[in-house]
Amino acid sequence: MPFVADILKHKSLSIVGLEKNTGKTVCLNYILRRLNQLGTSVGVTSIGVDGEQVDSVFATAKPEVTLYGGTYFITSEKHYLMRQAVSEIVAVDSRRTALGPLVTARVRIAGKVLLSGAATTGILRSQIQAFDSMGVGLSIVDGALSRLSLASPTVSESMILATGAAVSANVKQLISKTRHLYRLINLEETEETLKETLNTIESGIWAIGNDGCLHDLELPSVFLIDSQSADILRFGKTLFVAGALSDRLLKILTPRKPGITLIARDFTKIFASPEAYAEFTRRGHRMAVLQRSKLIAVTLNPTSPQGFLLDSKSVCDALSDALQTPVYDVMKIEQ
Amino acid sequence: MKIKDIIKSDAGFRYIIESMELMSSAGRRAMLNTGFTADSAVLETEWERISTVIHATQNADSKRAYTDLRHCLMQLHDLQGTLLSLASHTPLNEVELFEIKNLSHISTAARRAIAQLQLEAILPLPDTSAVFALLDPDNTGIANFYVYDTYDPRLPALRRELKTLQDHEGDPGRISQLLAEQNDIQNQVCNTLSDRLHEWAPTLATTMEQMAYADFLLAKADLAVRWQLCRPTLGGTMRLHGLWNPRLKHRNEELGMRYQAVDIELTDGVTLVTGANMAGKTVLLKSVGTAQTMVQCGMFVPAESAETMPFESVATSIGDEQNEMNGLSSYASEIIKISDIVAQSRSHRLLALIDEPARTTNPTEGKALVEALINIMEQATSVTLVTTHYDHLAGRCRRLRVKGFVEDMEHTPLTPQNINRFIDYSLTEDHSGEVPHEALRIATILGCDEELIASARQHLDQ
Repeated sequence: MPFVADILKHKSLSIVGLEKNTGKTVCLNYILRRLNQLGTSVGVTSIGVDGEQVDSVFATAKPEVTLYGGTYFITSEKHYLMRQAVSEIVAVDSRRTALGPLVTARVRIAGKVLLSGAATTGILRSQIQAFDSMGVGLSIVDGALSRLSLASPTVSESMILATGAAVSANVKQLISKTRHLYRLINLEETEETLKETLNTIESGIWAIGNDGCLHDLELPSVFLIDSQSADILRFGKTLFVAGALSDRLLKILTPRKPGITLIARDFTKIFASPEAYAEFTRRGHRMAVLQRSKLIAVTLNPTSPQGFLLDSKSVCDALSDALQTPVYDVMKIEQ
Repeated sequence: MKIKDIIKSDAGFRYIIESMELMSSAGRRAMLNTGFTADSAVLETEWERISTVIHATQNADSKRAYTDLRHCLMQLHDLQGTLLSLASHTPLNEVELFEIKNLSHISTAARRAIAQLQLEAILPLPDTSAVFALLDPDNTGIANFYVYDTYDPRLPALRRELKTLQDHEGDPGRISQLLAEQNDIQNQVCNTLSDRLHEWAPTLATTMEQMAYADFLLAKADLAVRWQLCRPTLGGTMRLHGLWNPRLKHRNEELGMRYQAVDIELTDGVTLVTGANMAGKTVLLKSVGTAQTMVQCGMFVPAESAETMPFESVATSIGDEQNEMNGLSSYASEIIKISDIVAQSRSHRLLALIDEPARTTNPTEGKALVEALINIMEQATSVTLVTTHYDHLAGRCRRLRVKGFVEDMEHTPLTPQNINRFIDYSLTEDHSGEVPHEALRIATILGCDEELIASARQHLDQ
């Protein structure tokens, strides 16, 4: 029963796929089955499907999951009425999606349910809170990489990363892409005192001076750096980026003298390519985050949507080796 | 005119509406569909209700019931669509039946809270406990809903078998068959329940509308308490004492600037207001307009005391509104508005608020236009407030002047930020026909180009 015990150390979990068809649903079904055997009370909610723009009004369908007696779940009215489980409506949200309002229900007799949802971090947080008030022990968010922000530690405490042949048929590339995200997820947190100060800042780029004081660099966005980039380090070598951290900023900083620390809010705010990040760290700089997600496990789906199959054992081993963490074949953990 | 129409063109009134703390979208809809009315009886009733709500909710004993009531309103969903389906014999699905059950659940709780607050007379809610009983056959007492086993004798055995099969991963074929049977039964139950609920459609619609109204009424009372608004009275004149403009006052407070309330009395005919630039003439017009609109939408007003009268319409021509017609010069769009006010005043009783008419054309013809406007509006059965910089205007009308700059300003360095500390915004009767000549002085304070000022002074002296 791999990693389920770790999941239970947290109140909430996001399952994030690096691509479509990386076995997220298989993984979710596995976890739900295990938790049912352990008698844990679970609440399940979801976000929109890959490749959609974030839109709280538009709800999108996800593959069916099997939910067991006592589980709470949230789905749109349309999919609620199509469910194969016997369940009782607990609440209906006044916000409407394209598929009707979101329905919160409790399963009475197990069965398959199609999950759909409205994807904003605000809505997810309020849903997890609502589950909590219903006495749910673990809230699970069925997520997607294209809406990575929804896997932010501000939404859920822990996460599972699903990867697989769908990411790339080339094992080297698959490993490199997965390892890049894995590194970002595992970036170190900054020290407590700094965290408290920086947490309240909502926008801009800030320098933490050598004296420990905060200085607003008055750059509302990275796109405005060019003209002033010469003195971006005038207050000190530690910078906090409240919004998105992009390649552009890394490329400006990389050639500077080693020893720069770049702090992002959390890994979902870092939009750096593997190459730019590698070059940045190779030059003796580092990155950190205010809040780190607890990565519970990495799972692998060796089958690609085009139908070819990677050698499960060798890829799991290679990936395990590269990440220095256990990697599970989702098709096998089910058995 | 409904509130939703007024807020499109009146930013001051929109600020008021946006400051209302409504609990539900149904309440917000009720608010936006409330009309501007000149019916004194309707207005008096509404103000009396606000007073009653304030009285009933602002004491320690009622706090609990008040919180309960607001909590019920927070759970109110807009069920117009569902209730229409119910009324037209369209079967409801489980989610819609839940919504109906929830409505009867929260309205029952709201009724209880309203009774505790002794507000039944103004907020009567129908008794829908029979609806709740129909949708709660197992007497759970909670709003949760599903097609209970109790509804159909076939369900218990069918679901027992389904549960056994699901728990032990039994024959998928049989599971599908049972699910299909169960769905059929569920649909039959939903249809039967919809039929039995049909006769309740009007009562449920009333329940929702009444709760939406309660939301709006409570929000009006809440705003009156939060902002210390006063209950207006209706009489033969307009006497607004300590009148303040919510948007401006709150902005000034945020900036740490002082705000001065003003007194103004208006009667039928024209009142002309003069005063230096920056002396608050435009704000005065806007404040009077916003206060009168609040009065006629059945709200309390931002003043220490307010006696007023109902008008058929509040008509304004205030230049810096953002709704100037496309493609027209400022003079053209203004003259269209003023012409419209004059035309309306022939058949309607208006509160007409006209800011610096004809200020964008040549002073000779401009002055003649203003004099004509004063003469016509003086004859109309309307209350007209006109601001102007023209002096020695001919025509009979009442004249007021904003007191303007206080003398000790000479000793303090003035900036655009502190200038309002040196302005007395109060009004005084004026018989001189003169207007203040302080344009150059104010331009200097605002840091206007020195050569420009010096040259202007030379021209004045010539």
